[in-house]
Amino acid sequence: MINIENLTKYYGSNRAVNHISFTINDNEILGFLGPNGAGKSTTMNMIAGYLPMSDGTVNICGADITKDPVKAKRNIGYLPEIPPVYPDMKVKEYLSFCAGLKRVPVGKRSKEIERVMGLLKIKDVSGKLIRNLSKGYKQRVGFAQALLGDPKFLILDEPTVGLDPTQVAEVRAIIKDLKKDHSVIFSSHILSEVSAVCDRVIIINKGDIKAIDTIENLEKTFAASLVLHIKVKGDKDTAASIIGMTKNVKEIKKIEDEGNNIYSFTVDLEGDYDAIRDAIMSECLKNGISILEIYTDKPNLENVFIELINRPTKKNGLQELLDEIPDESENNTENTETKEEE
Amino acid sequence: MFPIYKKELQSFFYTPFAYALAALFMLLFSLSFSTGIAKLEGTNTWAFSFTEMFYSVIIYFIFLIPFLTMRTFAEERKNGTEVLLMTSPVSVLKIVIAKFLANVTVYLFMLLGTAFFPIITAMKGEVVVSQLICAYIGIFFWGTMYIAVGMFLSSLTESPILAAIIGEIIMFALLFVDDFSNTPFISQYPKVQSVIYSFAAQPRFAYFSEGFIRLSDMVFFGSVIIVFLSWTYIAIEKRRWNRG
Repeated sequence: MINIENLTKYYGSNRAVNHISFTINDNEILGFLGPNGAGKSTTMNMIAGYLPMSDGTVNICGADITKDPVKAKRNIGYLPEIPPVYPDMKVKEYLSFCAGLKRVPVGKRSKEIERVMGLLKIKDVSGKLIRNLSKGYKQRVGFAQALLGDPKFLILDEPTVGLDPTQVAEVRAIIKDLKKDHSVIFSSHILSEVSAVCDRVIIINKGDIKAIDTIENLEKTFAASLVLHIKVKGDKDTAASIIGMTKNVKEIKKIEDEGNNIYSFTVDLEGDYDAIRDAIMSECLKNGISILEIYTDKPNLENVFIELINRPTKKNGLQELLDEIPDESENNTENTETKEEE
Repeated sequence: MFPIYKKELQSFFYTPFAYALAALFMLLFSLSFSTGIAKLEGTNTWAFSFTEMFYSVIIYFIFLIPFLTMRTFAEERKNGTEVLLMTSPVSVLKIVIAKFLANVTVYLFMLLGTAFFPIITAMKGEVVVSQLICAYIGIFFWGTMYIAVGMFLSSLTESPILAAIIGEIIMFALLFVDDFSNTPFISQYPKVQSVIYSFAAQPRFAYFSEGFIRLSDMVFFGSVIIVFLSWTYIAIEKRRWNRG
């Protein structure tokens, strides 16, 4: 189990990582998600013991990375953003050097090297100079290095960058397979990758954790707040109050005037969509407002991600929104129209 | 620690690097050798001595040793492989020592090549073996000191060429500390002069080449080596803290 507490990193006065804490359980794949420059690599470098932290502790399988680095590092396999390979070495030579570095016992070394080469399908290039390998192969050689010695904890910084689609699928399969007896933290800015592989996700932006949860939960929390789009023809205020008064409507996020007495409402809902829709429709009919369009957006992980990253400043209620639309004399005519219909 | 040592040696010996360096060193050595012989011809009564030659040899070191040491840390950083070393279960101190030992090994290989000259001299003439051994011990210390200096500079930069150039300047300066302390200007202040003079390595080397092995000289060279290696260690650690 890996415990990260209060981890902070300052570059000069610039705060790259801001007091983040989380744990990685055994046999868990934790996705580390964030836009470029969010502090992902810095955090990973600190966990791996390459960068010292400004504050906080990292505890890897019972050993503190700063107090007992050698013991802690024995349990780490780290694939940095740029694979740490020596261009002048042959693949096998490189892996045997890494095996020595990671203190794989001499007798087991060649077997271990064969294992990781088989796993990452780099046996066919084992005699080649790393300098002459393509980016994808270099990446896989770097990955193989991280797996040497079978460390309990793997840190993978964007492991699938530069791979072709088949290789990506293979590497993902390997990562999934690693779950059996490893803890894995792996970073990415590709959402589909994270949702395909990870048990839990950390979403980070500008050094702050925005969310830690399982993918299902993240989707659920945001699915609970469905977004409803309604386009109505009729009186704006009446429509707004009908929608606003309906049970389980959280807030009206946006009202757009599309001319000709047509207004689009964007509404946040919670709870059962069908009931809300029926309630709104019948109320609108009663009040003589015709509904032109009604549909919902189901937020997927992509939306969750974007929303969390750009947490919008919240609007201050319905009235402000209404005020944004210029009041026109049309309102009166609408009112009369509704009365007539009644 | 051993895997790093081995890897360093491989990077020297699996490439033409170590051989080219040793060959160049032998070529330069042979130049001093032939001029030494040319000088001898008039006065045949003297047994041939390598003492004077070794003085010119330490000037060649100013150009050769930086080539040996420039890549030590600068290239690791350039390749991004520093991360690999730093995140493996090996302490920074051990990394420094392993790399130092590898450099010293290549240096010994270079010195070994020069044994060729005393051997052919012994075949045709006479070699004062005891003095020769002393001179070799002296030159060994001198070169190791330069290696420590070169490694320190390599740990400061990402560019091997820059490390080499600055290395040459500093090694050149180190060679002339005693001359500097003997300049008329410095001689005006005897205390300053004595302080500067105590840092001079060349007079200490002179004792070795004249056939004296003095503990104080060995302690001097040993201390300089340890100081520069510690600075290397500190430089690496410090850069990690400052990074960004």
